[in-house]
Amino acid sequence: MADEDVNGDSDEVQQEKSQKKAAKYDSGAADLERVTDYAEEKEISSSDDFSCALTIIGDRRNKEAAEKIAKEKELLKVSIHKDDVDLIMKEMEISRSLAERTLREHRGDVVEALVTLTN
Amino acid sequence: MPSSNPLPPKENALFKRILRCYEHKQYKNGLKFAKQILSNPKYSEHGETLAMKGLTLNCLGRKEEAYDHVRRGLRNDLRSHVCWHVYGLLQRSDKKYDEAIKCYRNALKWDKDNIQILRDLSLLQIQMRDLDGYKDTRYQLFMLRPTQRASWIGFAMSYHLLKDYEMALRILDTFRNSQMSCYDYEHSELLLYQNLVIQESGESEQALKHLDKYCDQICDKITVKETYGKLRLELEQFSEAEQVFKELLNLNPENTTYYARLAEAERHSSPEKTLEMLQRYQDLFPRALAPRRLQLNYATGETFKVLVDQYLRKGLHKGVPPLFVNLRSLYKDQHKVDTIKSLLLEYVEALKNHGHFSDSDKDLPREPASALLWTYYYLAQHYDHLGLTEKALKEIDAAIDHTPTLIELFVTKGRIYKHAGNVMEAYKWLDEAQGLDTADRYINSKCAKYMLRANLIKEAEETCGKFTREGVPAMENLNEMQCMWFQTEAARAYQRLGKYGEALKKCHEVDRHFSEIMEDQFDFHTYCMRKMTLRSYVGLLRLEDVLRSHPFYFKAAKCAIEVYLRLNDYPLPDPTQTQEIDTENLAPSELKKLRNKQRKQRRKAELERQQAAHAQEKREQHNKSRQQADPDLEQPTLDELIPEKLERSEDPLEQAVKFLQPLQELASDRIETHLMAFEIYFRKGRTLLMLQSIKRAHNLDANNPDLHSCLVRFLQHVAVNPLKGPVADVVKRQTTDIFSNYDAAQLNSDFLNKNSKSLPHLLQGARMLHLLDPSAQAKALSLASHVDGLDGVNLETCTRVLEALRNEDFGICEQAIADYTTQCEKRFPYATAFRPPESYTATTNHQALTTISDAVRE
Repeated sequence: MADEDVNGDSDEVQQEKSQKKAAKYDSGAADLERVTDYAEEKEISSSDDFSCALTIIGDRRNKEAAEKIAKEKELLKVSIHKDDVDLIMKEMEISRSLAERTLREHRGDVVEALVTLTN
Repeated sequence: MPSSNPLPPKENALFKRILRCYEHKQYKNGLKFAKQILSNPKYSEHGETLAMKGLTLNCLGRKEEAYDHVRRGLRNDLRSHVCWHVYGLLQRSDKKYDEAIKCYRNALKWDKDNIQILRDLSLLQIQMRDLDGYKDTRYQLFMLRPTQRASWIGFAMSYHLLKDYEMALRILDTFRNSQMSCYDYEHSELLLYQNLVIQESGESEQALKHLDKYCDQICDKITVKETYGKLRLELEQFSEAEQVFKELLNLNPENTTYYARLAEAERHSSPEKTLEMLQRYQDLFPRALAPRRLQLNYATGETFKVLVDQYLRKGLHKGVPPLFVNLRSLYKDQHKVDTIKSLLLEYVEALKNHGHFSDSDKDLPREPASALLWTYYYLAQHYDHLGLTEKALKEIDAAIDHTPTLIELFVTKGRIYKHAGNVMEAYKWLDEAQGLDTADRYINSKCAKYMLRANLIKEAEETCGKFTREGVPAMENLNEMQCMWFQTEAARAYQRLGKYGEALKKCHEVDRHFSEIMEDQFDFHTYCMRKMTLRSYVGLLRLEDVLRSHPFYFKAAKCAIEVYLRLNDYPLPDPTQTQEIDTENLAPSELKKLRNKQRKQRRKAELERQQAAHAQEKREQHNKSRQQADPDLEQPTLDELIPEKLERSEDPLEQAVKFLQPLQELASDRIETHLMAFEIYFRKGRTLLMLQSIKRAHNLDANNPDLHSCLVRFLQHVAVNPLKGPVADVVKRQTTDIFSNYDAAQLNSDFLNKNSKSLPHLLQGARMLHLLDPSAQAKALSLASHVDGLDGVNLETCTRVLEALRNEDFGICEQAIADYTTQCEKRFPYATAFRPPESYTATTNHQALTTISDAVRE
């Protein structure tokens, strides 16, 4: 139980703080703060559409995730040379991950990758 | 998940009290309870208690202790989500968002459905624009709390930001259908937001249907109408669009875009039709200004003359100071300029003779005396805009003779001198203007700006000090207020004076303002979602994404890059070694003089040190008092910017790259960005990055004179460093469109032939000629120092030529410099740049020169 509270409490304080800050820039907002209630906490009634939508959304997400993984896998299959990655990093002054990614997206062709990067 | 080290009931109660104290900001009490738990030897190393103690200490400003405790707590209880969450909060309060995200992720490992942590995480993800991560977190929140409004909104927005409009709309639709029927303002905003998403998905027809269906429920009627108009135009339903814009104009006849849209809807075949439409509106709304002014854009010939005559008379009769600025955009058309000029000359003549605008008005009542004054004033600005300094000065002097107390006149006189290339004289007139009304903040700022242009930084600070907070140095208060025009101008002034450290300090300060503005965004993530101001929220996110495309950042970054390049080319000497002077070979009298001088210097330095210490003390006091006043103000302590350190940076080029990168991303449409990039990477010897900047610049303006110098130097670089492997292939493939010729000398002579009538091109071509072949000095000099019969001969270019000559771009050429200055002095008699050096007070020629050319350029 205690653990639940920690997160609850500390976060609210943080939120309050940030709200206060936001209010500081706009004195009108400070007054609004008092009269409007927390829209965020308002509950909405559930209905049939609701569960239906939930399923659609869930399906969609699974599909998305699968696609993403497939794409990543596809990219990982491409074999690349460490020398090429090093060259790209040095010449273009970019991070290793970006260099690797660009190289993979161009099927390991270092010239193509560099052409894209210099465009 | 239970903590790995649960507390017994008594301690647990204390722990809860710590939390409550933290929540109610009773930090002292919180610490007391923490002490009670920790003093029990069995729990002296209790992780969660230590973490909470740390968090409390952080709120009391004891940062180091806070980190110490939180880290110790975490080490003692690595499986507690509380400890991880607290660590995340601590990092967040220090604006280390990346680190904070990691902490939250760890916390979620031990408690994956914790709503508060998920919410916090989502805020950080949107702040860092990890949109995919944001979507995942929002999905989790949605699944955990499907009955809460915020879950739906946040979830939909996460898809919207990823441009998955279909999904975003589906979520919004389902949400709206299941919502309680409460038609308040928030509901209205939600509908407008939904409409925005439909519009962005490109389905204008759907958006229109949506609007038809819900327009009754939307409170913001103007936006409804404007959206209707926009959509109708997009769908080419012109007669409906016409109706909408007519209604809008009835509401606000001063909105210029409504007129443009109405013209679009009425599908005018010629400008005359637009003119007719505007005339109709002028008759309908006789007091409206917009239709009158807009007519001048479309009218030509005799009609224009009649209309502008009316417009000018009205303005001059009433005394509208910004009349010229209002009409300046018409000056693109030479014919219109001539018409305006002839009318004005007629007015002056007639007003002087009998107080009317024209001879035919003699029977009407006389114009007020001020009409002549405003006509002089307009004429002065007119001539100044056309670069006719002498005539402009004559008119403005006539105006000042007429009414010696009008501030605007002095400002304009200063501006004329500024444009003519005399910053000192310009500043004097602005100072005069400022003296006429010291309570006018606008004039005060203008005056300070002109002082900065004249490199009078101290004076500018004092001038601004009249309006900054008392008891704080003006410079600091201006920084606190993010007064960026001042800081960019000051940076420029320091740069011209060769005070590179100070210049860099100002540039970094501006850069920090931009970071700060990005950070201010954080508070809005919760606030806007809560208040349902979703359209403005999305607008804010998009603004922050391109924040550094702002001209202020561009100016500061440009200055910083130029300074860093200079420091790279001419590193500053080590300060400890400069003092050693050969004392042995000096005559005794000389030695005495030197000693005296040194003593004086020492005394001066001592005095300065004292002043600096005093200022530092004041600053600290000020900071302290500010902190006391506002304990909430959790400003992360940034490294203090010390000019001496900045100008002796070990890697000036890396520093320059830091300023460059935002420009490459956000100001890639400005050729200067890529030209600066070339200068940096040329010095770093990065072939492909040079190629990248050349290519981008080439796409923007293939015949840019400055780009040419990059191209030649690139060819030279490639010739000296033979390329091999993939780099060679890439260069070959990427340069075929750019280089007509791979021989640098040939390329240069082609360029010179092609642009033989343009001074900016000739200058760069000549520079490169000398670079490639120093023996061609005479030819290069004659190419660059011609003035007559060329295009682009203006003060700016001629100053650049002189700069190049003095900079020994053409080798040593004293005689050529002398000849050139005499030639230019005749052509630009008001500019100080070409006067003999002794007549102005600057330490070196180079610095004084940049003063002028910068002033002219901006």
